[in-house]
Amino acid sequence: MPFVPLALIAELTHRCPLHCVYCSNPLEMQKSAAELSTAQWLRVFDEAARLGSLHVHLTGGEPLARADLTELIAGARSAHLYTNLITSGIGLAEKRLQEIVDAGLEHIQLSFQDSREDAANAVAGARSHALKLELSRHIRQHRIAFTVNVVVHRQNLDHLDEIIALAEELRPDRLEIANVQYYGWALENREALLPTRSQLENSMRTIAAAQERLQGRMRIDYVIPDYYGRFPKACMGGWGRKLILIDPAGRALPCHAAGVIPGVHFDNVRQRSLDWIWNQSPAFNKFRGEEWMQEPCRSCDRRNDDFGGCRCQAFLLTGGAAATDPVCTLAPSHDVVIAAVDRVAQQSLTTTSEVLPLTPWVYRKNP
Amino acid sequence: MPRPDDNSQPRLAAGCRWSEPTNGERILLFPEGAIRLQGTGRDILEHCDGQRTFAEIIRELQALYVLSDVSRIKKEAGDFLQQLQQKRIVDF
Repeated sequence: MPFVPLALIAELTHRCPLHCVYCSNPLEMQKSAAELSTAQWLRVFDEAARLGSLHVHLTGGEPLARADLTELIAGARSAHLYTNLITSGIGLAEKRLQEIVDAGLEHIQLSFQDSREDAANAVAGARSHALKLELSRHIRQHRIAFTVNVVVHRQNLDHLDEIIALAEELRPDRLEIANVQYYGWALENREALLPTRSQLENSMRTIAAAQERLQGRMRIDYVIPDYYGRFPKACMGGWGRKLILIDPAGRALPCHAAGVIPGVHFDNVRQRSLDWIWNQSPAFNKFRGEEWMQEPCRSCDRRNDDFGGCRCQAFLLTGGAAATDPVCTLAPSHDVVIAAVDRVAQQSLTTTSEVLPLTPWVYRKNP
Repeated sequence: MPRPDDNSQPRLAAGCRWSEPTNGERILLFPEGAIRLQGTGRDILEHCDGQRTFAEIIRELQALYVLSDVSRIKKEAGDFLQQLQQKRIVDF
């Protein structure tokens, strides 16, 4: 059965006015001068649509940092792609919002770092919270889908009810609350971000109650940290199975983090067609099928459900990209995850959940 | 949890639309997802234009499915639209 890249993640730039301590961008970022041109992106959108892509997610960095964003949105719509913008909102005044809606934007995902202004600004490394509140009101005046995204972690999970209350005031169609995933900058800051098990259990009760109360008004999706799961997540729906990400310089990757895996050459849309990259390139075929799997994945009944979990996490935590994702309770290296979770449990015995982390943050830099 | 009544005028919610038709197939696109629709589900949603009332939609569906009982059409269409409303795919 041929795989189809149902969604294209277009990382338009790594430039960003925020410096979030859990940014999913790689530690090694692409410089502005290396970015694809407008025409190159438009070609990528057409090629993706021909391969069967339905959605394009315009992200970054901060996609608003691209002066040609309106043109890119119009181009994505001409290619018949469902067009979603994932943004911090910084740099989106009323006039530009009107322009991108007129160009055909269909869904906007606006990120908030917290419900509390000081804490939000501390995580973002910038004064951004108040601007986002104002922008939300403008967004609601347009007939487009609106999602509020909030990343949660040990420092803000205890006031999840406040975060949900803030979202209710902003009246999005959907609230996506996602725990930090430990790659890139987030892995650097893991000691201060990973929640405790009891925090996580409380958060799941809070979410379930809010989902019931708000049914039909605001949909709430919740992503829990995989460190507390029994089995790994089917990361990105499996390597090279459903998604393709193009980085600002044109490199095609199966996910945000795959560039960390050594010894894999990721082809560039400047040199190769998207069709060749998706169907033929060694990188996209590297972890398809089962041949590459190690035990216990190779003989596991779940191998076609989770595909052994995340290749990047396997590499980051064990040094081997083909290993079983160590978050799996069956993984030979699961003890590294237990150790991280235990350290958090120890810390929480000696401190209350204060806003200041025990370790200083490593802020995301600019390219 | 709201259900459409006779006077409701269901329509696709903001940010939800049909894809360009390919091979006669219709795909409904919405934030973070898509559904391939055929048969009754497709018939129901294609009538949801924000103009027709739920009662009118049921009458038209009844003309399409002459052998089905009208109360059953009404219940099934109501259940379907209620589910899609919760997913924020339909407004009424």
